[in-house]
Amino acid sequence: MSKAIEITNLTHKYTQSGAQEVVAVSDVNLSIEKGESIGIIGHTGSGKSTLISHFNGLLKPTSGDVVVDGTNIWADKETLRNARFKVGLCFQYPEYQLFEETVYKDIAFGPKNMKLSPEEIDERVLRAAEFTGISKSMLEKSPFELSGGEKRRAAIAGVIAMNPEVIVLDEPAAGLDPAGRKSLIDMIKAYRDSTGSTVIMVTHNMEDIARIAERLIVINRGKIALDGTVDEVFSRSDDLVQWGLKVPEITEVFTRLHNMGCNVPRGVYTVDEGVKILSRVMRGGAGLG
Amino acid sequence: MENKLIEIKNAYYFYDPEEEGKEPEPALKNVSLDIYEGEFVAVLGHNGSGKSTLAKLCNAVFEPARGTVTVDGIPSDSEENGDLIRRKVGMVFQNPDNQIVATIVEDDVAFGPENLGVDPAEIRKRVDSALKSVNMYEYRERQPHNLSGGQKQRVAIAGVIAMQTKCIVLDEPTAMLDPMGRDEVMDTIHKLNKEMGITVVLITHFMDEAVKADRVVIMDKGEIITTGTPREVFSKVDFLREHKLDVPQSTELCNALGIKGCVLDTDECVEVLGRILGGAV
Repeated sequence: MSKAIEITNLTHKYTQSGAQEVVAVSDVNLSIEKGESIGIIGHTGSGKSTLISHFNGLLKPTSGDVVVDGTNIWADKETLRNARFKVGLCFQYPEYQLFEETVYKDIAFGPKNMKLSPEEIDERVLRAAEFTGISKSMLEKSPFELSGGEKRRAAIAGVIAMNPEVIVLDEPAAGLDPAGRKSLIDMIKAYRDSTGSTVIMVTHNMEDIARIAERLIVINRGKIALDGTVDEVFSRSDDLVQWGLKVPEITEVFTRLHNMGCNVPRGVYTVDEGVKILSRVMRGGAGLG
Repeated sequence: MENKLIEIKNAYYFYDPEEEGKEPEPALKNVSLDIYEGEFVAVLGHNGSGKSTLAKLCNAVFEPARGTVTVDGIPSDSEENGDLIRRKVGMVFQNPDNQIVATIVEDDVAFGPENLGVDPAEIRKRVDSALKSVNMYEYRERQPHNLSGGQKQRVAIAGVIAMQTKCIVLDEPTAMLDPMGRDEVMDTIHKLNKEMGITVVLITHFMDEAVKADRVVIMDKGEIITTGTPREVFSKVDFLREHKLDVPQSTELCNALGIKGCVLDTDECVEVLGRILGGAV
């Protein structure tokens, strides 16, 4: 029972006003182990968001099964409710969903719904705030007094406070400046390292996903086009372009150098890694090519 | 690039109302900037640095509290002038779903010129040519909600072009797009700038978009802290980091390796490193 989420033959159809049917997700099979760090990538309209909305029962499959932690989430109301606590979903631009008088109350909203004791709620709020870098003084402010990046953190803290086994983040860094983007990704990484939670991140940013994910799932036209390690997926740069995606800029540089006959490997996904390899090559060592 | 299209002189802007005897924190502080006809200017700065406020001064959505903004000779000091300025400077925003108003693509593009009271035959001509220039002509009878993000942004850009504006200000137009959508939009903006001579002011968080501009303007705490060509600006890696910005990955790599000169994109990076590593360039 080490699977966090197991999806079999999932299909989701929308009916539009003109009675025209749109298949957003088509016969998807997906198995996510506990503790995995996964990136879901795909162009706009590929079906990523529809797919992840099934992970905690926000959408009901037209057909197929969603099993979370060994239980079919649509078995009964209680199971569905539990799935919503086990799988925490954080949508795009989550700061628009902040609504309480104080940041503290906003983060406490989820745990309160779980009917935890006041002490437990307090403990969870403080812990989530610490993870996300929300200071004590910020907790007493109105969410509307926070900057864009701080609001984003507060919203994510609200999901973390529910102690979900799986956290799903849809474009968590969209619209943030480079420093905000980097520190948010570092924060998610640190959270995962210290809690061992399963982390699933949906993004258009290949540089970000290369820093955090171990496994990448490419969605195209509602189907899984490719599911593999970062190496396996980013080595298929021509296919990625076909699917409306790209490899990180640094990966493109190394692939081109490798193809020119330079003594460097192709699979380089972060600048730090690239600097290490090239420093060694330029000092006259072997470049692992 | 001789004529100044937008002249901003010592401009201040405040969001908070003035309290008794105490001046609120300005969103823009003594900003002066000239934008020349046909220029492509990228504005960078962290969240809250004043970039979007600056953009809204350019098309007179905001009037400066102090200082002046003049567009094509018209000062933005009255509502009537504001209307005139908005015919010269159009704006495209971040979210493609918030700026399309009509249910058919070509109606959306016609919306601006219709509001200006342009003659219907002339509107038809402008809509067709605007849609062709953004490569969306074959989608003219489609419903906008069925388009991708990049396509919607290109329709929004066509809507601005159809008003025959001299300048487009784009406020993070690619922030919500996938990689191909970003490329489509960026290619379109560059084409309009080069082929039609439209002045472009691009506000962005993406450094790889900024390196292709003629000039880069960096803002922090409501002030312009530096301007220059992309090569001048992106050679200051530490300075940019201090202001919560970054450089493209190619630039970062070469800088960390101590390579002299400033590399701006993958082509330059591959060329420089290929030479050092002895690859077949």
